[in-house]
Amino acid sequence: MDTMITTEQLTKKYKNFTSVNSVSLHIRKGSIYGFLGPNGAGKSTTMKMLLGLTAPTKGSFIIDGKHFPNDRMAVLREIGSFIESPSFYANLTGRENLDIIRRILKLPESSVEDALELVGLTEFGGRLAKNYSLGMKQRLGLAGALLGRPPILILDEPTNGLDPSGIHEIRNLIKSLPELYDCTVLISSHMLSEIELMADDIGILNHGRLLFEGSLDELRQSALQAGFSSDNLEEMFLSLIEKDNAARKQRAQL
Amino acid sequence: MNALAIELRKEKRTGVIPVLLVVGVLGAAYAFVNFMLRKDTLLNLPLAPMDVLLTQLYGMIMILNMFGIVVAACMVYNMEFKGNAVKKMYMLPMSVPGMYLCKFLILTVLLLAAVAIQNLALMKIGTTELPQGTFELGTLVRFAAYSFITAMPVLSFMILLSSRFENMWVPLGIGVAGFLSGMALANSKVALLMIHPFVMMLKPAVAMSAQPDSTVILVSLVETILFLGAGLWMAKHLRYE
Repeated sequence: MDTMITTEQLTKKYKNFTSVNSVSLHIRKGSIYGFLGPNGAGKSTTMKMLLGLTAPTKGSFIIDGKHFPNDRMAVLREIGSFIESPSFYANLTGRENLDIIRRILKLPESSVEDALELVGLTEFGGRLAKNYSLGMKQRLGLAGALLGRPPILILDEPTNGLDPSGIHEIRNLIKSLPELYDCTVLISSHMLSEIELMADDIGILNHGRLLFEGSLDELRQSALQAGFSSDNLEEMFLSLIEKDNAARKQRAQL
Repeated sequence: MNALAIELRKEKRTGVIPVLLVVGVLGAAYAFVNFMLRKDTLLNLPLAPMDVLLTQLYGMIMILNMFGIVVAACMVYNMEFKGNAVKKMYMLPMSVPGMYLCKFLILTVLLLAAVAIQNLALMKIGTTELPQGTFELGTLVRFAAYSFITAMPVLSFMILLSSRFENMWVPLGIGVAGFLSGMALANSKVALLMIHPFVMMLKPAVAMSAQPDSTVILVSLVETILFLGAGLWMAKHLRYE
C-alpha cells in the first residue's frame, strides 16, 4: 500500500490528560481520509501534530517519506492546511492575504486567482478580510490551503459556517481534488453524511484512541459482525462510540 | 530579504510604519517650538550651549519615542494575533524566528528614522539658534547614537512581550507600567536598577551632560541582545498550541 501519511503510536499528553493515545494512521496516496470523532476526541490535536503546531509526547510520523521536525520545511511545503478556524490578516484583503502565502511558498502570481476561483471568492478578493462573513472567511482559509494545489491537504472542519450550497460546493471541490491533481486529503468533520459522501477511508477516534481504520465497506462489515446497524455511517459511528464509552465506564468502575 | 519584503507587506494598514515616523516629526516639532519659546531661559542655564540643546529638549522627545516604541511593538504582533494569522505562519514553510527578526529590524530602522528626524531638527536649531561657534556636530551625532542605543532595550523588550501575549492590552499595560516605574527609578544610583530597560532609556534624559556614559551603553547593548535572543529562542521553541 502506497501511504502518504503514516503515524506510529502518536501520543499527546497534557499533564494528566491524554488527548491522543497511541494513534497509528495509514493514509493512502491519492485518497480522501475521513477523520471522525466526537468533540474532544483528539482529531484536531492529531492534525496539529502533523503540522508541527504541537509536539507529540510520544510516537512519530512520516509524511511523503519525510520526518518531522528534521524535514519541517520540506514537509510543510507539500501540505495545504486549514485547522479549526480560518487564519488571516484582518488588515489585508483576501487577495493580499493569499499573496503573502504565495510569496512564502514561492508560487507564481497566477496561483492566487486560481485559488480564489476554486473557492468562489474572486468577486470579493479585494475586500478586507475583517469585513468578510464567516462563510467567506472559511472560503479564504480554504483558498490558503489550496494555494499552489499542494499534494497533501489537511482540513479540520472545513465546512463549518458555510451555508448548505457552500457545503455542497466545497464538498464537490474536495471530492474532485484527488482526480484533479492526485491530491491526498485528510479531513475531519462532524457531519458524518459529508464524510460518507466523499471519503475513501475512515478513521474513528474516541477519547484519543483510534477505534477503527479502514474503508467504508470494511466499516460496514465490522459493524455487521458486531451486530450493529450498518445502514449509514452515522449509525455505525454512534454504535462504535457508544460501545467504547460503555467499555470505558465499565473499566473505570472496576 | 524575501522574509523582510513579506513582513513589510503585512504591515499595510496597521499603522506600524507611520507611528514611529509621526513620533519623529512630533519630536522635531516639539524641539523647534520649545527652543523658540524658551530660547533665552534655556541659554541662561548654567550649562554649555550643546548640553542645553541636547539634554534640556531630550526629556519630551524621549517620552514620545518611548510611547512610539510601545505602541508600534504592540501593533506589530497584534496583527498576527487578530485574525489568528500567526497560526497560518506556523503551518507554512517559513522560519518563525526569521519573522520575529524581521519585525525587530523594521522597528529598529523606523526608530532610527525617528531619531534621525529629531536630530536633524536639533542640528538646525544648533546651527541657527546657539551662540556663534558653540554648535558641535560631533557631540550631536554622539548624543543621537547614545539616545538610540539606550532606547533599544525598550524596543527589544516590548517586541518580546508583544510576541508572547495575544491580548494587546497586556504588553501595552506593561509598557505604561514600565514608563511610570522607569520615571520613578531613573535618578536612582543603584546599579541593579539598570536591568530595567525603561530606566536605561531615561538615562540620557536625566543626565545634565550630553556626554555618553559608557556603562549605560554597554548595559543597553547587552540587554538588547539578551531580549532579542530570548525572543528568537521562544519563537523557535514555544509552539503555537
